[in-house]
Amino acid sequence: MLDIYTWFYTGVALVIIGSIGTVIGPGVNDPIIRTLNTEIPAIGLSLILLTYNSTIALLTYIAATTIISMILLRAIVRLEELGAEL
Amino acid sequence: MTATVLVPNVVSPVVVGLFLPAVFTGITVGLIGLLAISYQKNDLHALILTDIVGIGMLIIVASVGTDLAESLVLPGLVVELAEIMAISEILMSREIRKQGKSVELFPLPLNLDMEVLTTAPVFFAVILVAYGAFLSGFTGGAIAGGGILFYVISRIARGVPSNTWEGLAGASGIAWCLWLVGFLIFFVAPDYWLLALFLSAFGVFIKVTFKASLVGVMGREEFKKE
Repeated sequence: MLDIYTWFYTGVALVIIGSIGTVIGPGVNDPIIRTLNTEIPAIGLSLILLTYNSTIALLTYIAATTIISMILLRAIVRLEELGAEL
Repeated sequence: MTATVLVPNVVSPVVVGLFLPAVFTGITVGLIGLLAISYQKNDLHALILTDIVGIGMLIIVASVGTDLAESLVLPGLVVELAEIMAISEILMSREIRKQGKSVELFPLPLNLDMEVLTTAPVFFAVILVAYGAFLSGFTGGAIAGGGILFYVISRIARGVPSNTWEGLAGASGIAWCLWLVGFLIFFVAPDYWLLALFLSAFGVFIKVTFKASLVGVMGREEFKKE
């Protein structure tokens, strides 16, 4: 149960499946869905950082990925309001 | 064929064993992201896919697996954050210029007057600044600065007196001096290492915070000018 290989390979699988899902997943022509899909590889990367005991890197990554999501969603909402083709 | 890379003894064998899978994962994810960007016509979608390439980069850095990896992940994160912030601003200002119409800084289709719209940015900013102060150091400064930046860009444009700018820049410079003094104490008087550590950590925290929020203030002034 606490075997670290479990966490590591779960993280690897989440990162690869999540990034493929972000690229060619269902409904990714909507930028909001594509942004939400990037959260899956983010969880995978968090598991990998957890395997390597990188606590500070993990804490900073959680904060940075939140800020990145906020910036991307703000850009999408503003571009949609301007009537740009997405 | 065995690997002939010299690995120091302090690296645990588990980390050495995980090195090749981690590097291959990073390269795979990076290739997936870059291929998708090369087929992508829309700039906004390419910006979102940059996130995937950044994740691949972080996995490759993390595969080193010691304190070196931890200290290399942090600047990578900050650079990725700054890059996405800058490119999204460029996309928006290009679109505004192309259409030639003026827009509100706070995007709302309806004229809603709800309390949460004015308090939520304050709440986010307070949480991010408090979390940044907890982290301290360069990354804490980046996070607290991001919080202030978010607060500034989500408010409707309102002039900031130039005295405030000068004051922020001066405080940033003084904090940088604290950082330098902290480093000097490390070498001159190693017995006071705790004082030096806190001087460096909070000096660079205040400096990076003020620098990041100054970027937001200047960007907002630029926006108002158009």
